[in-house]
Amino acid sequence: MNSIATENLAVAYDGNLVVDDLDMQIPQGKITVVIGPNGCGKSTVLKAVGRILKPRGGAVYLNGDDIRRLTTREVARKMAILPQAPQAPAGLTVGELVAYGRFPYQRGFGKLKSDDKKIIQWALEATRLTEFETAEVDNLSGGQRQRVWIAMALAQQTDLILLDEPTTYLDLAYQLEVLELLYRLNRGQSRTIVMVLHDINLAARFADYMIAIRRGDIIKHGAPEEVMTAGVLKECFHIDAEIVKEPRTGRPACVSYDLIRPTGDACDS
Amino acid sequence: MTEQQLKNEAYKRGLAVRNTAVAAGCAAVLILSFIISMNTGYTKLSPQDTLRALFGGGTDKENLILFDFRLPRIVISMLAGMGLALSGCTIQGVSKNALADPGLLGINAGAGLMVVLYVMFFGAQTFLSVFTLPFLALAGAGAAAVLIYALAFKKGEGIAPLRLILTGVAVQAGISALTTLLVVKLDETQFDFVAAWQAGSIWGSNWRFVLALLPWLLLLIPYVLYKARVLDVLNMDDDVARGLGASVEGERRGLLAAAVMLAASCVAVSGSISFVGLVAPHLARRLVGPKHAILLPVCALTGAVLVSAADTAARVIVQPSEIPTGIMTAIIGAPYFLYLLAKSRR
Repeated sequence: MNSIATENLAVAYDGNLVVDDLDMQIPQGKITVVIGPNGCGKSTVLKAVGRILKPRGGAVYLNGDDIRRLTTREVARKMAILPQAPQAPAGLTVGELVAYGRFPYQRGFGKLKSDDKKIIQWALEATRLTEFETAEVDNLSGGQRQRVWIAMALAQQTDLILLDEPTTYLDLAYQLEVLELLYRLNRGQSRTIVMVLHDINLAARFADYMIAIRRGDIIKHGAPEEVMTAGVLKECFHIDAEIVKEPRTGRPACVSYDLIRPTGDACDS
Repeated sequence: MTEQQLKNEAYKRGLAVRNTAVAAGCAAVLILSFIISMNTGYTKLSPQDTLRALFGGGTDKENLILFDFRLPRIVISMLAGMGLALSGCTIQGVSKNALADPGLLGINAGAGLMVVLYVMFFGAQTFLSVFTLPFLALAGAGAAAVLIYALAFKKGEGIAPLRLILTGVAVQAGISALTTLLVVKLDETQFDFVAAWQAGSIWGSNWRFVLALLPWLLLLIPYVLYKARVLDVLNMDDDVARGLGASVEGERRGLLAAAVMLAASCVAVSGSISFVGLVAPHLARRLVGPKHAILLPVCALTGAVLVSAADTAARVIVQPSEIPTGIMTAIIGAPYFLYLLAKSRR
């Protein structure tokens, strides 16, 4: 069963057609990771799927429904999307930001009901932020801040969560912390996670399903073992990669790589 | 509940109490400012006389001074302060720019141009109706705002906050230049009227002006307060707001229109008062934080205090003459703006 499917999706960014004629399926209940070189349409695809960017053509189906037939509020109850490195307004507390996740359920003046409060508390617990509820978001570390945004997405109570490079600007430990949180959410609550990641080793470690994109086209999709191959990485990133089975996780990993010259590819910006 | 959650709940309750206390404090300051203002002016009235007159026991002269001269002026200054402050708070919220101000959307400039045109064609004396001026100011302010919005709009991206601000500054400069050009052609009485308006002397000191302003505020203030939750979300990155299910462009347009109408109707009766829309939201944010549900009411109160205090000060500083309220708010506001600018560069 697919959570998201795109059909002939075309997306333009700044007038340039970044993605054209893309058919992509995202399996339900799995962690899907999109990889690809800079400027090759990963984020654009994610934004189009998350109805943040309006497609030039084609369609996006959310659980089988054409996303254009749903109101943006309805979509927000089914799908949460976190852009890359979002900024919180100055002075906002963790609890207040997480409470914004209830926005698509609120009407009128939107006083939080006891159900809303329970969900917010649960989201804080799931992201281990309860002790920071009254702290200002600005005063947290990068990893904690990323967890706050994830908690906000959780408070949206959606089965589907899209994240654009959730590990950007985080050090090694924080990266793992965020990805393990998403892993727990997926395994414990069978939420469908779709994310764009730069680090292909982290991608292979946490993904159930990987999609390699170059120039807005899918080069290869499937299990990490199928996508993390020297052949796919060569085509996708123009690198000569050495892939091994990582001893701790049993997942494929790239231990070393070289550039294949001449690159001369317009895709790298 | 865990111990930590209980602690958090207690903290949040404390914060809510504190915010309510701050709002009550602002209201108290406003009442104080009202009392002081009632007792301030060219004719000295003792507080006891004022109080007696307020409760219906005043002499004819006292009644005239208080009810026909001072009271409408105080009410106008407070209402205009509220409207301008809420307008500024809304604009800062939707443009995500702490330096945004109704003046930046061309409101003062557009309204000013219309006032000059009106005076040019109909003269300063032939004021047909005080009720036409808000509409005229609104037309001018609205046209300027639409022009700025259209120029700042980019297909596919919508309206980027920074572009909005920069376009606003440019268009405003253009309109002001045009206004200055026209002002040169005015005769003396016309010029005096326009100069007084531009300096923001609260010239509409009678009850008809209060009546002209009130319907606008009664319509627009509830709308803005109702949208507090939307403003909270619009205050974040557009992509986050869209992800949460806000129709960003539509809400932004609606709120900007409300902000323009609020400021234009206020400016039409109070004259070009600047900086209140900038300073009041900042003060309020310092007092109660960025959540609009509490920020907006406190902002309205601080705005009312600012303008009424400025108007009172304007009446006493250089007695027996007076300086325009708009100049008083600028004396307070301009340095604060520079302070914010310096801080934002760090």
